Amino acid sequence: MNSSNGRNEVPIDKVDSLESPNNLKEIKIDENIIESEANLTKDLSDVQRIKVLSPGMLVIKRFIRNQLAIIGLIITVFMFLFSFVGGLITPYGETEVFKYIGTMSKEYASVTLNEEFRYSVAENMEYNPNMHSNFILSRNKGENTFTYKDENYYISEVGKDFYKVFRLNSVAQITYIRGIMGVTPFADFNIDENLNELIKNALINGSFQFYYQNNFYVLTQNGRDYILGESVNVAFESLLITEPANPNTNLGYEFKYILEDTLRNSNLNTFELEGNRYELNEDDNMAVVYKVTSGGKEEYALISQLAIQPISQDVFLSIQFKEEMERAISDEKDMFIYPDEDGNDVEYTISRLNNVYTIKTETKTHLISMHEKPSYQHWLGTDKHGMDVLTRLMYGGRISLVIGFIVVLLETILGVIMGGIAGYFGKWIDMFIMRIVDVFNCIPFLPLMIIIGSVMDSLEVDPKIRIYYLMLILGIMSWPGIARMVRGQILSLREQEFMLAAEATGLSVSRRIFKHLIPNVIPQLIVLASLGLGGIILYESTLSFLGLGVKFPYASWGNIISGVTTAYEMTNFWFVWIPAGMLILLTVLGFNFVGDGLRDAFDPKMKR
Amino acid sequence: MTERANGIPNIYKHKNEVEDYVIEVKNLKKYYPVSSGLFAKVKANVKAVDDVSFNIKRGTTMGLVGESGCGKTTIGKTILKLTDKTEGKIFFEGIDIHELNRKELRKIRPKIQIIFQDPYSSLSPRMPVGEIIGEAVRDNKLISADKYDDYISQIMLDCGLQVYHKERYPHEFSGGQRQRICIARALALNPDFIVCDEPVSALDVSIQAQIINLLKELQDKYNLTYLFISHDLSVVEYISDTVGVMYLGNLVEYSDKETIFSNPLHPYTKALFSAIPVSDPEIKTERIILEGSIPSPANPPSGCKFHTRCNYCMDICKVEIPEMVEVENGHMTACHLYHKKQT
Repeated sequence: MNSSNGRNEVPIDKVDSLESPNNLKEIKIDENIIESEANLTKDLSDVQRIKVLSPGMLVIKRFIRNQLAIIGLIITVFMFLFSFVGGLITPYGETEVFKYIGTMSKEYASVTLNEEFRYSVAENMEYNPNMHSNFILSRNKGENTFTYKDENYYISEVGKDFYKVFRLNSVAQITYIRGIMGVTPFADFNIDENLNELIKNALINGSFQFYYQNNFYVLTQNGRDYILGESVNVAFESLLITEPANPNTNLGYEFKYILEDTLRNSNLNTFELEGNRYELNEDDNMAVVYKVTSGGKEEYALISQLAIQPISQDVFLSIQFKEEMERAISDEKDMFIYPDEDGNDVEYTISRLNNVYTIKTETKTHLISMHEKPSYQHWLGTDKHGMDVLTRLMYGGRISLVIGFIVVLLETILGVIMGGIAGYFGKWIDMFIMRIVDVFNCIPFLPLMIIIGSVMDSLEVDPKIRIYYLMLILGIMSWPGIARMVRGQILSLREQEFMLAAEATGLSVSRRIFKHLIPNVIPQLIVLASLGLGGIILYESTLSFLGLGVKFPYASWGNIISGVTTAYEMTNFWFVWIPAGMLILLTVLGFNFVGDGLRDAFDPKMKR
Repeated sequence: MTERANGIPNIYKHKNEVEDYVIEVKNLKKYYPVSSGLFAKVKANVKAVDDVSFNIKRGTTMGLVGESGCGKTTIGKTILKLTDKTEGKIFFEGIDIHELNRKELRKIRPKIQIIFQDPYSSLSPRMPVGEIIGEAVRDNKLISADKYDDYISQIMLDCGLQVYHKERYPHEFSGGQRQRICIARALALNPDFIVCDEPVSALDVSIQAQIINLLKELQDKYNLTYLFISHDLSVVEYISDTVGVMYLGNLVEYSDKETIFSNPLHPYTKALFSAIPVSDPEIKTERIILEGSIPSPANPPSGCKFHTRCNYCMDICKVEIPEMVEVENGHMTACHLYHKKQT
């Protein structure tokens, strides 16, 4: 207008505006242009300028007018807040397991009638399980001797089910020829007259075993001579079990032996050992040993054929408890009451299986709150691992959304690069890349994922690294769609005259690509990406549901649903799977609405 | 003018000082190979441009007319090296632009510009107008950064655009305004030579006049040289200094405007010019009606390519390709009719 040639240009512009055949904007704005252009003849100040919308702003304007798109956007924003902010607000952790303290009937002790021989070893003597089994064998055969490591051991039945095991020490050599006997003791062994007489009797009677002064003697023939052996106690075997009243007391061989001996002697109920006096109080199945001291009697040990064993290693059963229990068993009661350490009465129940009695009691333990119904603490209850469902959903949303975005980003980058190269350079490069795309499109996705999933299972890939692999595989598998679109767009854009004009103006190749080509592809790219997001989230959920994607303990909407596998769980624990399913549905729906809205908004022919 | 020249390094000197030709096209050929199938060999060539030669003097406009598909646009694009030539030479100010490497080509590119036919597809829809016009100026560093804004504003005003249009986007403009933007884009690079590839044929008549006037104005102001491609003879008559007539890839007649419009020699030119509507209904003009349609450039007729439709067709026309001969001073034509006259 200010041009020096003085041509009147105002009408030209006016005509231009009026005829505008391909006007993309609303009529209202056109009027503004006309008005402003009319005003321009008078004033060209900044005030006169009308607000101009860039193509981007126009898209936003059109997008905002699309109600469905706004609903989609609201859903999407909600999902983001739910997942990312929700995870911060929730007081629980992703893998926090909720427990409660409850009572549970737990086994406390078991009682069996002992039918196995148990042994006690004399001091400084060797007696091991091998010898014990040799003893059992010999006893069952009715023999009274067995051999272990070239040594002869002798069994002597002292009482009912009470055997003494001893071996012989050679003490003297005896020569006996036609009634004349010569005794040659070894070392410092003394042979008195009585013993001499006994040896002689034995030789005459031909019975080579005899007792003398609590000792057992055996004559064994050695050539023409005899060897006199004196017994040395090694151990005793018995069906009875002796246990101390105090867990710290160590009951010696001597004590046990005398106790067993005394018990079997019906006349006696007291015995003395090492200056102490002990008193026995016999019952049906057991006998309590009291140590008599100056102050009175104190419980010292219990002997019984019942094997009473606590289930837990750190529990020591007192003699009173055992007595109480024994009484209950012999009275055929199915429960008894016994006070615990604090003096509270605890109920014990007795159950019998064959000849094993099991004592059970209610014990307090930590229990996992599985499938807890929705409550104030857990708005959506807990799942089968005892984790808060709402919190899991929040963290699962994080993973699902992050996977969705990263995969879409990855596939977009790959797709734009590959499609861009193919479209821009054309010829054999295009041919080559498009064939790769065809190959990728031919790969069946689900079987591939199942194979890769099982490979990762067998390699025991860490669940966290698995998520990265999942993103990578999804990204690599889904770029061809984008590449195709980008290539098609670029092929058509490349032939547009503005690209020729850009070339003619001498712009660099990179500038032509990034300033002219890419901005014109981006709208379609945004649409494809936002529509793709929903698809990826769905894929991820499917794979996680099938156990191929995100694995426990990491939460994802898919694997939350896969926690519900049976019809019973489905009908009773609806609060586990319905919310997760709803979230997947809403998110995918939201992204699709946004994508559709964007597509409509980017399309200038769409007028609403 | 002087102000503009200051900012631009004048690296390319004229070599042909005798006539000061900006563009010299010598025996230019452009064939498009036709191949079918995946790996099939080239079956035939579409001879879009077949042995065309012409020169354009500085500050003048050459009009290039002809039917659709006769190779006008191909010549334009080949001069800009937007497509590769098959044979021949194109000199811009004495430099064979098809021999330049990429770096040299980028330097010379701003000097030769093009205005396209379709003002809608020749502007990137996602770029504000100021950026469209100024982008290449900045990219080629034609002007210092502090003078850049004023420079672009000046160019826009020169082309009949307002400064505030800078921030607007192409979709907000009418066809005529868009074509002004295209002109401004070309002009901003301070070119010596502009190929106007049917710049007005997509516009309605009133706008056509504005654009043509603008082009003429700018030519006077900046001493521009145009190759004005059009099939609209009245427009060509108005703007051109010399006119070339093309038929099926060949230049059949070439002369200055006055001579060719008053005395067309080639039968095709005659037929073409007889179709120009005359504004006075009283004047009866003899219309030469051409029979048949334009033959396929992939399989052109032998001899003179026009002989299938020529009213003066002789035997020799079917066999021998006529050469370009100068009939009068500077009036060249390729027709056997005039070969005879000379001999």
